[in-house]
Amino acid sequence: MTEINNTHFLYPAALVASKEPMLINTILGSCVAICLWDPILKIGGMNHYMLPFWNGQGLASPKYGNIATEKLVQKMVQFGSNHRNLIAKVFGGGEVIDVKHNSFNIGIRNIEIAFNSLNEFSIPVKAQSIGGNNGRKIQFNTLTGEVKMKFIARSDKAIPLPSIDIKPQKP
Amino acid sequence: MNKKISDERLLEELEKRFFTTKNSLNQHKELIEQLKVVNKKLEESEKLKSHFISNITNEIINPFASILGLSKAILQSDQTNWKQVMDMVSLIHSETLVLDFHLKNIFTAAKLEAGDVTPQYSRLNIKSFFEDIIKEFEFESQKKGLKFKTEYDVNLEKEENFDVITDVEKFNLIISNIFSNALKFSNEKSTIFVYVWKDDNLICFSVENEGVSIPADKQKVIFDRFVRLDNNINSLNRGHGLGLSITKALIELLEGSIKVESKVSGNNKFTVTIPEPELDGKSNTDFGDDVFFDNEVF
Repeated sequence: MTEINNTHFLYPAALVASKEPMLINTILGSCVAICLWDPILKIGGMNHYMLPFWNGQGLASPKYGNIATEKLVQKMVQFGSNHRNLIAKVFGGGEVIDVKHNSFNIGIRNIEIAFNSLNEFSIPVKAQSIGGNNGRKIQFNTLTGEVKMKFIARSDKAIPLPSIDIKPQKP
Repeated sequence: MNKKISDERLLEELEKRFFTTKNSLNQHKELIEQLKVVNKKLEESEKLKSHFISNITNEIINPFASILGLSKAILQSDQTNWKQVMDMVSLIHSETLVLDFHLKNIFTAAKLEAGDVTPQYSRLNIKSFFEDIIKEFEFESQKKGLKFKTEYDVNLEKEENFDVITDVEKFNLIISNIFSNALKFSNEKSTIFVYVWKDDNLICFSVENEGVSIPADKQKVIFDRFVRLDNNINSLNRGHGLGLSITKALIELLEGSIKVESKVSGNNKFTVTIPEPELDGKSNTDFGDDVFFDNEVF
């Protein structure tokens, strides 16, 4: 297998799809990420949403599950995929922070919307690791469709972002 | 085989069944109510979207018209009269800045809605950064006779420079939008107070202006897209209603927060806190082996 040098860190509320082979990394808490893969064209894409539904507040961005999944499918179709060929893998939706009130179960609601919207597009879910109390770190290989996952220990802090590159200061 | 049951049992069972039906009916009703609310919001959003087109036309056409007119005037002007030419050039410059600001906002909104925005961190000097942005708004503020008063509560003892790490472009757009808002809704000849401070690794600033107070129930709505509180088409305050929704989305991207305080007297204060990113990035402790989700298994 050839090495893939093209890596991308996916931030929350963003989505990415690539025609070129790419390793997409992301870190999930109560957020959910859906990896879509086309086994025929060998291309893939991932979204990373924080809340289930857009209710008209703020921008209609892929921060919301119903929008993020639709946009990701659209993007794959733009790249030439037939949506009947697509398969999905669903990750995240853990309760990383203790919640007392039921309606704040964002993780569970995020998972629900993932399955509902994938069902709407008749995209089968081939693998999943959802719920639980831990965060997850995943890496999606868009060439092979493989996903590597590690659990992250619970912490009181928000899910940390990866190390960053600082550009040299402008003169 | 017919099994006989007593009348009491029958009544009990019926009551139970009625109760469950009633319950599910109630749940249905509740869900329908929720749907109605969402539907109404979407309808409103659609309406505002069409308003948006007419608003944005003004925003773009006005500066363009002045740039066109001014550049034509320069071409026809007496070339020895440098002072006049310079005046016109500076006007063109300020109009271009306005245009640039609006276009940046629109493109950023489009990018945010496409999920195509990632933070790009770099180091910047916060004092000169704020001063540069205020300079960009100089012309607009002079028109209304407004003054900026800035205060930096940062540790300047050791060195005069104060460096922070953040996404320069997005930070710029956040500040510009809040400034532009403050300018737009300030009373004439008032002062806009800007405080900048640092709290551990939090970069904070607040912008306070004198204008019309924002009612408590509207304080959340102002961050929705295409919403302008003064939605009259003839209103004095121009704008496309995207500014604050972009600001909020960008602040969330940088993991910060924004707070609005509005006094009855008409003083509005926006406070923004944005954390500096953690440099080591190793604070997340993963454990266990990699779990594979390949395609052969299924």
